[in-house]
Amino acid sequence: MDTLEKLKKHWKSTSQEMPKLSYEEIYNMLLKKSSSVLKWILIISVAELLFWISILFIIPDQNIKIMQDMGVDTILNYANYLHFFIVGVFIYLFYKNYKNIQVTDTTKGLMKNILKARQTVRYFVYYNIGMFIVTSIALNTFFYKNSDQLYEVMDFAEKGVPKEGFANFYILTQIIAGVVILGLLLLFYWILYGFLLKRLKRNYKELEKIEN
Amino acid sequence: MKKDLEHSFVTQLEKNQNIVHKICRLYTDDRESHNDLFQEITIQLWRAYPKFRGDSKFSTWMYRVALNTAITLYRKSKRTIKTQDFENVSFKIASNEYDDTTDQQLKLMYDAVKELNDIDKALVFLYLEDKNYKEIANTLGITEVNARVKMNRAKDKLRKILNP
Repeated sequence: MDTLEKLKKHWKSTSQEMPKLSYEEIYNMLLKKSSSVLKWILIISVAELLFWISILFIIPDQNIKIMQDMGVDTILNYANYLHFFIVGVFIYLFYKNYKNIQVTDTTKGLMKNILKARQTVRYFVYYNIGMFIVTSIALNTFFYKNSDQLYEVMDFAEKGVPKEGFANFYILTQIIAGVVILGLLLLFYWILYGFLLKRLKRNYKELEKIEN
Repeated sequence: MKKDLEHSFVTQLEKNQNIVHKICRLYTDDRESHNDLFQEITIQLWRAYPKFRGDSKFSTWMYRVALNTAITLYRKSKRTIKTQDFENVSFKIASNEYDDTTDQQLKLMYDAVKELNDIDKALVFLYLEDKNYKEIANTLGITEVNARVKMNRAKDKLRKILNP
């Protein structure tokens, strides 16, 4: 292409009107803070990890008592130990992947490592959502089958809730609440990933694409 | 020790700043974004500098970090009002060999390069900087053959932009 060749020929010899920064101006930039996408990815990823870990600690006492009265607290404790172990594994993997992100890597390598670190967090979120669904189904099935016991434990008689049909109503509210929470989570992640990774994914795809 | 490192870094960057400015100009549309990106590239270069062993030239090492920052790490601001600072970027040809028409042609070409996607821009930029396909492939992390083919595609795209 003629013009591109011309542009190339004169690319270095042209005196494009480029700014010229002084030693002091460049030096002052070293003291500034980075505002890179990577910094946001780290902040958001750590916030996600903390959020899902902290959820276990904000279960109201009343709920814990219900679990105890229903006799499922021991099994839930074991499930929690397993959960913490898995959380630990995820944190280790995220840390390892994050450390691999180097700005001196090739463009493709850098993008790949960022996406890999994000993928760890994404799998962590999937794991948590999966756990949420499995635990909800297991507990609610158990409660449904033992609805008489649940009726007593939750003091529904005193609260004036009729016993007839209460189990169905209870399950229905649980399902609606579950779907709403899941919907909000999906919306949140859709916006989050869109905001953070759209350009990165597009560019990565572009680099990965093998032209024929 | 840190002072020495800072001094040697700033001196080298000051000397080679034109490369960073060229990248900033390709990837941003106004002066404020240009300065933002320049600053981000400087920060990233400085962070990576302790690992720079000097087995390659400072400028060669800079290309990778600067392009990576522009393509991957830089968060484009959502400014809606673009100041037209760079609309009048002109290529002043050093010698008198060319007339205004050449200037104009080059300006159009430059504008066309700016319309390419982030990756094609990087390819064309490295090509203009006289990097061979091996270096281009090494910087971007793709095969040499693919770099060559992608470059041809980018040239086609430029041709289409210039002659719609």
